[in-house]
Amino acid sequence: MRILFFAQLKDATGCDSVELTPSSPLSAEQLWAELLKHFPKLAAHRSSVRIATRCEYVAPNAVFAADDEVALIPPVSGG
Amino acid sequence: MKLICMEIEIQLVHEPVADPIPPPPWGIVGAWLEFRGMVRSEENGGNISALEYEAYPEMAVREIRRILESLATKYPCRAVKVIHRVGVIPVGETAIYVGVASPHRGEAIALLAGFMDRLKQDVPIWKRRALPVETEPRKNRAPVATKTPLISLDEALAEIHSQAQPLPAVRTPLARAFGRVLRETVGAPTDLPDGDRSTRDGYAMRADDNSEIFLVVDTLHAADWKPRQLQPGEAVRVATGAALPCENLRVVMQEHVERDGQKIRITRHEPARNVRLRGEDVKAGQPLVPAGGRLEAGRLALLASAGCAQPLVSPRLRVVHFTTGDEIVPPDQTPRPGQIRDSNSILIHGLLQKFPGDVVPAHLPEDFAAAKQLVSTFHLQPSTFDLLLISGGASVGDKDFTRPLLEWLGFEIVFSQVNVRPGRPLIFGITGGVSVLASRLVGSLAPPDQVRMAFGLPGNPLSHFVCFHLFVAAALAKLTGAAPEKFQRGRLAAKLDDAPCPRETLWPAHRDPAGLHPLAWASSGDVTCLMETNALIRVPANRGSIVAGAEVEYLSTD
Repeated sequence: MRILFFAQLKDATGCDSVELTPSSPLSAEQLWAELLKHFPKLAAHRSSVRIATRCEYVAPNAVFAADDEVALIPPVSGG
Repeated sequence: MKLICMEIEIQLVHEPVADPIPPPPWGIVGAWLEFRGMVRSEENGGNISALEYEAYPEMAVREIRRILESLATKYPCRAVKVIHRVGVIPVGETAIYVGVASPHRGEAIALLAGFMDRLKQDVPIWKRRALPVETEPRKNRAPVATKTPLISLDEALAEIHSQAQPLPAVRTPLARAFGRVLRETVGAPTDLPDGDRSTRDGYAMRADDNSEIFLVVDTLHAADWKPRQLQPGEAVRVATGAALPCENLRVVMQEHVERDGQKIRITRHEPARNVRLRGEDVKAGQPLVPAGGRLEAGRLALLASAGCAQPLVSPRLRVVHFTTGDEIVPPDQTPRPGQIRDSNSILIHGLLQKFPGDVVPAHLPEDFAAAKQLVSTFHLQPSTFDLLLISGGASVGDKDFTRPLLEWLGFEIVFSQVNVRPGRPLIFGITGGVSVLASRLVGSLAPPDQVRMAFGLPGNPLSHFVCFHLFVAAALAKLTGAAPEKFQRGRLAAKLDDAPCPRETLWPAHRDPAGLHPLAWASSGDVTCLMETNALIRVPANRGSIVAGAEVEYLSTD
């Protein structure tokens, strides 16, 4: 499972992506728990971050499979 | 479900958004509404020079399309074109362009408004950071007098320094960054080296282990990464450069051991540890390549090793170079009496090599009206060039039209005579960009405060050489964000023989380990001394001859 970081989340993690190898699909809750183990600084962003897979925002109850590409989207500021 | 038949075109681009964008190809549709979101000169109360945008491109394009398709069901339009620029966008340039075609304006306006609102909520594009304005604000000058006085070299340099402003920085792949000026300090992403490494082919064991005989428990090649704790009596075979399996090890050269199967015996003891320690070269986060330096091969290699594949650097310079004078013929032609070959074009071309960019050359006819006619075909919008150089015609002869030409182009003449030889009739002009030049020519809107500079260089080749190194190079250094070349101190290797001159002199010289050798030059038309010149000695006004061995100021030209 590849996790993509953007904008200020790159600063918080020091990288633009990370590879996780969960043994079973993860809920959003479990995904966050796993990420915070590696990147405690993400905690400050959690409440404002939306999650996307396959280039679409997902609902809070989404489940992420081992071969998903998951993007963490901080508040956007385009235009 | 309503059928959507709106054409949608979406681009994410790194380059400037064209101006203007051609309207849709299918003729009259009723309304063609265009919107440009521009980068403002202020962000969070501070002045900025540019904003850097980041995008999640695949998802951004998809989100934009999703939003437009959803809005089209409510506001049926004929077509929409969206261009969002990412990367470093200078103040005054377009960040987003939206064009909407529809039968009536109402739908187009509603769709545009709805789109921009939702773009700012949902499309994964970010203003990553603001790049600050890098220099002191330009000083306010008094209105320019019709006749500018003769000014000193130092006054001229101070004027250029205060008028020139660094151009907005850009991100560029390493392969295209050679010769550019790095515009932000790049730090080490990790400790360098990132772990303890062997400096010898040999055997690694605990530094505190004084055994004579060791069991070889592993072999490590240069690319291996096999962490393990070594126990007393254990050693690993290591290659030069290999990452050691843990900290607090030493390496014994292979020449100093006897090997027997899996065992080694140390035959010679030496105090050296033969280990490069983690962070020995530089610690994570410490500056590796400071801002302001020109990127030569070695610095590029250092950036590559730090993972900085797209450094923030000065942009490629865009220089327009006009030569003037009907006496000039190309180098491959034989001049008739009264004519000379054009050496200034290639001189300027060569001198500009140090500053990566593009030179647009042209020769102007001696007739002012014809020259203006030709210049107007260049469409010299302020946004299309950074520096204008005009060779020749800088004096006040009947046909010397450099000054009127610059004024016609909207330049304000800052000075036109500097008290130096060679190179006294040097013209320096600036334009604020927006007003006169734009209205005179094509009517484009330049970013405010984007100053364009022009130099009118005296036509003699030696004057050209001197004026370039003294003045043009100083302006180019400031534009690129580099430190200007400074006068250095050196000793004369031979006497400088000169009568006292009321002007400061920049005397061509050859510098070698023995010191500065003044070269013979008869007049500013003399090109022969350019064979050897690699320095210009600064001779104060009224100084006259200077004895061998005396300390002088000079400017390096190589």
